[in-house]
Amino acid sequence: MISNRYNRLTRGALLAGVATLLLAAPATAQQDPIQIGFTTAITGPFNEFGEGYRRGAEIAAEQWNARGGIDGRPVALGMVLDDQLVPDRSVQNMRRILDNPDIAALIAPSGSGPTLAIIDMVEADGRPMCNTQAQTPLIIWPNGLDQPPRRNVFSVSIGNTVEADKLGEALVAGQYNHVGILHESTGYGVTGAEILKSRLEELDPNVTVTVESYNQRAPDMTAQLARAQRAGADVLVVIGLGADLAVIRRNIARLNLAIPLYATAGGVTPPYIEGAGELTIGTRAASSAVMAANPYPAKTQEVLDAYVAKHGRDRWWGPDQNRAQIAIASTMLTGYDCANLLFSAIERAGSTDPDAVIAAMQETRDFPGASIESISFSPEDHDAMTTAGLTVYEMQSTPAGLTLVPRETAN
Amino acid sequence: MSFFLSLLLAGISVGSIYALVALGLNLTFLTTRTLNFGHGSIMMICAIVIAYFASLGYAVPLLLIGSLALAVFLGLCVERIARPALRGGGSMGWVVSTLGFGILLQGIAAREFGSQAVAFPAIIFSAADFFIVGGVFVAYQYLVVLVVSIMLILIIELFLRRTRWGHAVRAVSLDAELGVVNGLPVKLIITMSFVCSALLAAVAGILVAQVGGTVDPAFGFNLVLFGFVAAVIGGMGSSVGALVGGLIVGILSKMVAGYVSSAAEHAVAFALLMLMLAIRPQGIFVQPEVNKA
Repeated sequence: MISNRYNRLTRGALLAGVATLLLAAPATAQQDPIQIGFTTAITGPFNEFGEGYRRGAEIAAEQWNARGGIDGRPVALGMVLDDQLVPDRSVQNMRRILDNPDIAALIAPSGSGPTLAIIDMVEADGRPMCNTQAQTPLIIWPNGLDQPPRRNVFSVSIGNTVEADKLGEALVAGQYNHVGILHESTGYGVTGAEILKSRLEELDPNVTVTVESYNQRAPDMTAQLARAQRAGADVLVVIGLGADLAVIRRNIARLNLAIPLYATAGGVTPPYIEGAGELTIGTRAASSAVMAANPYPAKTQEVLDAYVAKHGRDRWWGPDQNRAQIAIASTMLTGYDCANLLFSAIERAGSTDPDAVIAAMQETRDFPGASIESISFSPEDHDAMTTAGLTVYEMQSTPAGLTLVPRETAN
Repeated sequence: MSFFLSLLLAGISVGSIYALVALGLNLTFLTTRTLNFGHGSIMMICAIVIAYFASLGYAVPLLLIGSLALAVFLGLCVERIARPALRGGGSMGWVVSTLGFGILLQGIAAREFGSQAVAFPAIIFSAADFFIVGGVFVAYQYLVVLVVSIMLILIIELFLRRTRWGHAVRAVSLDAELGVVNGLPVKLIITMSFVCSALLAAVAGILVAQVGGTVDPAFGFNLVLFGFVAAVIGGMGSSVGALVGGLIVGILSKMVAGYVSSAAEHAVAFALLMLMLAIRPQGIFVQPEVNKA
């Protein structure tokens, strides 16, 4: 008797449970994820950037989902496509992404070339996009720095302008008379060289500047270096990526040029260290100031901890077990910041409507970032990185291996 | 004067790399009138295997031997792949098949070793090893490439002109069908030309990777373009032509980059190619072919 009653109760409880699940199931199924999409260099010779920021964006999405998503809806990296930093592929991929109405927001491709290739179609589409790594100011300010920014494009990258300001300050402080600039022949390299040259001339009219260009993946840069040497350069600045910077550094060694070498943040990445080894010692570059802080700012530490938990201390992390290499700021952390900013704006907007999300992005104030300690945007300024957000570093040989250390603490 | 010498030495250094690549392209052209467009990928895979396994701690001398053995195998593969297309007579078949083989090798390398550049070990000299000539620094790494190129050219020329097998290769290069009629092992000669070409690709890949310091799956593609230009200028099939063509391309591009504009450095090679095809399509060291009906 008791057994029958127990069985009936058990059956009733099970039925009630099943009924609850059945009722709940449609509600869960309706919770389609809020999706962001991007095309970037997941593979290819420059994938330290694209794969790095994909990992950062993934950590951001996982953190949002662990907190219950946005108003109960999960978030997802809906479309992640590989362009290998080739502009044509970026265009094809971005077209596919923009054709998907479920994608609420976008992250820009790695690098200025691919981003410039897709920027007009993204602006015409109107959905908000955040730029992690592309440096040319044309991405935000197509008509000049004194004109309004593109309405739907925001950036956390180290832009050519702020980088030129920081490098310009360091070069003028170094009292060099003649600066030789070597730049790659891409949008990033050309605009970077133009801005640095004009900034140097503003800061010190007595400084003369020689500008030389090279093609990405060129096997030899002797002619460019010889021209800079003949012009009397007493310092070199390279605006290019890591693999090419390694070739240049090896050429400098072959020519026995004993002058200081400065590089952009995009250059002092793992391919540079792997390609030039001990020759990298003494190379200086401007990069995110958060990486110089000890201890790191809270958000930076939180994301780096999440990275180590997920990926370990790998190539993106660098050789030092205790401190991540500086390049992780512009490879992984900016990807985290862009995804986090977009999800936060969607939450504050209360919808995925592009106009509402853009308005929310523009109202971002003192938002804790991983690559920039405090991120703010306004309708007039869509670029979060400032000169104060950068520090000059120098490559040193430490017990942990070759690593960038803040210039003021360098030996 | 120092500036001129710097450019001249850089041109000779880069030109000897192009010559080494052109030499490899020439070997298959000599016997089959075809070019192996997968040549750059063989350069890459032989170098990347050394770089990758050296980073894992394997002994470099063993890796060098293994890399050359791999080149022999790849040479046989290219010949097997291109053979049906060669029988067809048209040029489209071998272009597509050798190019496809090269792309396949790139894909395999990207999958197995990653798409990022891998640091190549300093086998003989480092980038900082140099000596001074007339106030100009000459890198030992470049000198090695130049010396190896000249030695290989001498060996190939001696082989072709002083040995019975060399005479057989030249006979096949002139008329393969007549060679078959006269009992020459034409198939074996063709196979060996692909194997030797692949071995030259491996040597070029190893030397060039050491100069650049890194190797990645796309390594070799640009070099094959410049090697092709060098081979055409010197004359397809001519070993001396490969060296002279390589040096012309290297020195001229460095001089233009130094005295005119660094932006024009690479364009000048292709301008030279067009000029050569317009005024002397057979190249400097090759006599024009005459077909008698």
